[in-house]
Amino acid sequence: MEVSHSLKERTIAENSLVILLQGLRGRVTTVELRDESAAAGRVTGVDAFMNVRLAEVTFTDRRGAMSHLDELFVTGRNIRYVHIPDEVDIRATIEEQLRAIHRVRYFGGRDKGRREFPHTQH
Amino acid sequence: KQQTTNTVEEPLDLIRLSLDERIYVKMRNDRELRGRLHAYDQHLNMILGDVEETVTTIEIDEETYEEIYKSTKRNIPMLFVRGDGVVLVAPPLRVG
Repeated sequence: MEVSHSLKERTIAENSLVILLQGLRGRVTTVELRDESAAAGRVTGVDAFMNVRLAEVTFTDRRGAMSHLDELFVTGRNIRYVHIPDEVDIRATIEEQLRAIHRVRYFGGRDKGRREFPHTQH
Repeated sequence: KQQTTNTVEEPLDLIRLSLDERIYVKMRNDRELRGRLHAYDQHLNMILGDVEETVTTIEIDEETYEEIYKSTKRNIPMLFVRGDGVVLVAPPLRVG
């Protein structure tokens, strides 16, 4: 389970639905873009800004012409929809991503290491 | 820690009331969605289930110059919608 190395990105992801998209890593989905084109491929990464990396992509442009791309990077702003595969359990995927972030946050235990939120008492 | 309240304090809370209900979403570029709201966030990114998307286009007749409204529909079982395309969210419209 890969979590961003950036505290800012972890926090943004934790507080929005982008965290679900991050959980789609490894799955094959279709991303529909703002300009009416679509990219179908395997998700290799999603960052907190919804920028998406796909592999083995079938790209359909606005006019319907299809092409194959080994890798594709889509800027978050250009996304309109992401199809969620039928077999994805949304709640479980989000919880798993949150657990991964919390593992990073609480690494080293309560009294050890550099804490992400030093003054928080749980 | 984030806390959820049961009172309606801000406009986003009205959307919370529609969780698990069917809703109508008007989007930019003459699109509309009807589906079941599974999740949303502060950006209005949403997860909709059993969605019907309607795209409306206007064609101009070359001879009469009248406007012909055409709509295309399609169904998608589960869709993540990026919030910056959302214009409004409402209970499903009843066609009277």
